[in-house]
Amino acid sequence: MAAVYKTLSATNGPEKESGDRKNKQRVLVLSSRGVTYRHRHLLQDLYSLMPHSRKEAKLDTKTKLYQLNELAELYNCNNVLFFEARKGKDLYAWMSKAPNGPTVKMHLQNLHTMEELNFIGNCLKGSRPVLSFDAAFDKQAHLRVIKELLTQIFGVPKTSRKVKPFVDHVMAFTVADGKIWTRVYQINESEPGKKKAGVDGEETEEKPAPKKKGKTEFDVSLVEIGPRFVLTPIVIQESSFGGPIIFENKEFVSPNQIRSDLRRTKAGKYNRRAEAIKDNKSKHGELGLTTHGGRKKEKDPLNDSVLFA
Amino acid sequence: MAKSGKLRPALDALNNRNFKLERQRKQERAAKKKKEAQAAAGETEGDEGGVQTEQPVAVVATKVNGKEKKSKPNGAKAKKAPVEEPEWETDGSDGEDASDDDMMAGAGIDLSRLDDSESDISGDDEEDEEENDEEDEEDDIALSDIESLASEDKGDIIPHQRLTINNTAALTAGLNRIQLPYSKLAFSEHMSVTTDEPVDIPDVEDDLNRELAFYKQALSCVKDARLILKKEGAPFSRPADYFAEMVKDDEHMGKIKQKLIDDAAGKKASAEARKQRDLKKFGKQVQNAKMQERAKEKRDTIEKIGMLKRKRSGADLTTTNEEDLFDVELDKTDAKPSTDRRRSGGGGGDGKGNKRQKKNEKYGFGGKKRHAKSNDAVSSADGSGFSHKKMKAKTGAAARPGKNRRMNKR
Repeated sequence: MAAVYKTLSATNGPEKESGDRKNKQRVLVLSSRGVTYRHRHLLQDLYSLMPHSRKEAKLDTKTKLYQLNELAELYNCNNVLFFEARKGKDLYAWMSKAPNGPTVKMHLQNLHTMEELNFIGNCLKGSRPVLSFDAAFDKQAHLRVIKELLTQIFGVPKTSRKVKPFVDHVMAFTVADGKIWTRVYQINESEPGKKKAGVDGEETEEKPAPKKKGKTEFDVSLVEIGPRFVLTPIVIQESSFGGPIIFENKEFVSPNQIRSDLRRTKAGKYNRRAEAIKDNKSKHGELGLTTHGGRKKEKDPLNDSVLFA
Repeated sequence: MAKSGKLRPALDALNNRNFKLERQRKQERAAKKKKEAQAAAGETEGDEGGVQTEQPVAVVATKVNGKEKKSKPNGAKAKKAPVEEPEWETDGSDGEDASDDDMMAGAGIDLSRLDDSESDISGDDEEDEEENDEEDEEDDIALSDIESLASEDKGDIIPHQRLTINNTAALTAGLNRIQLPYSKLAFSEHMSVTTDEPVDIPDVEDDLNRELAFYKQALSCVKDARLILKKEGAPFSRPADYFAEMVKDDEHMGKIKQKLIDDAAGKKASAEARKQRDLKKFGKQVQNAKMQERAKEKRDTIEKIGMLKRKRSGADLTTTNEEDLFDVELDKTDAKPSTDRRRSGGGGGDGKGNKRQKKNEKYGFGGKKRHAKSNDAVSSADGSGFSHKKMKAKTGAAARPGKNRRMNKR
């Protein structure tokens, strides 16, 4: 009884004091062993875009993922973004709310890091992004969970330590083809009259009129920064790196399966050909066309040697 | 169990309990129980009955039940034939923490039925099919449930593949647990914007349109966010004199710039090269035409000269005879360039360059290479190289002055 009372008063107390609550997030970013350089660069990119994140050394194990909960607790993180590399080519992203879940496991494809994309966009290190979500995220239960996780992991809280107070980039998440496509853009503001100011300086002097009322009438355009990647949700677990599976994507085909199918189709070509040769041989034998084995050719009753024997 | 009237609703509010939904579920549970009672009259249902009470204390009881089921999954499954989807039950009950959904799951509700009651779930039809499959093969167990079993039980279980799991109730419960209180937070705390309309991408393979859709989505969200942030008075755009470390450092940006410049230069160079190529192609024609024109001009002038000479020679034979001859000789050589009698076959075509012609002469191009220098009827009859002057001329040795003379000359 006392315990119930205690929990009630504990949660109610500070809420009333502060009025509106603060959004506090810290993210533990790490990967498993066996990542390629591109995976590592992606990790680097995300780390530079997330001032509230904490990078950790590569995790040694791929099976005992519950260790991540202890790690997160050690670094005061309430989110974990874990990249698991398999076979040196497949990358899986785990997103979790650290102490008690849920956890989403996703397959990361079409990965392009900032370095290889050569986009001209750039943003402040430690500025806060606008998170843009497709309305399709609200349509299904599992996508709602994923959306919430993405918001909390990639959204930079106001109170973060290394944060800068301006908003100069946007992270866009879109659902298409059952996958989540991620893009990062820089927000470029320019006054409509000033647009060509960079090209020739005279134009700014010619149009002073829009400058006065232009305080609100900025032209907003976007320039992509990178990185780009696509996430396919595979499984959602109820607690953090453990617990029952509460969602499983039936459309997901593992890359191993795809590769083995490809190999099988390739092997099928040889098998078919070998079989065809065998068939051909037996057919020839049956017709008595082979020199050795098979059926002997029947004597034609109308053959000259038979007729005039 | 004595409770003050105030505490209960407060605790419920804390746990985000939805009474309406719970009541509905309870009704479903009751109906199901009735069905079960009809189907298996002898089965004990006491343990499930305890869950029916809505009090939070019952949570503990349910947990215990869940563990009991877990400990003897095989036996339970064999006799629980009439109960639909035994896997679901164990799945739901064993790992959940002490929240209210534990009650629902542990009480043996058909969760997929619950899903049906929720309107927003997709793929219900497939799930129904799955159910039918399961009824056919009730002895085996879903692959995803094996992990939740004890290791000694794993041996004699034949897993069947791919049970589609979409436990909407658990998903929403999980979401409620972690969701930020958006209504209480200022926008500048979370800064997430959702579009009004779902982004429609007809073909994901079409890169250009796909990226355009992404761009449009981001842009519309940015505009919305910008308005809201301005309204809240939060800083948005960076002042021009604010310099700080960027995500891409100067070196990286320099690389990008260099790449852009290189690209532009490459494009320019290729355009130039193409232009040059075209010009060359066209230029050859021009050159040909010019050559022909020149040749024609030459022929004309020579003809004219010849005419003139003939006229003149008619008038005055003696004076211009030598010149005339000389000219004619020149004409001849010009018109018919001397060709090797044997090797001219493939060689000195008109279109060939001087060098090629020479090379063809030297190394041969087509035709027989043997006996090229031996005499034949034509060559022996050819007296063009003969000159009586040369025959009468002194020998080469005599032509060379003596050493003394030569030394004196120096």
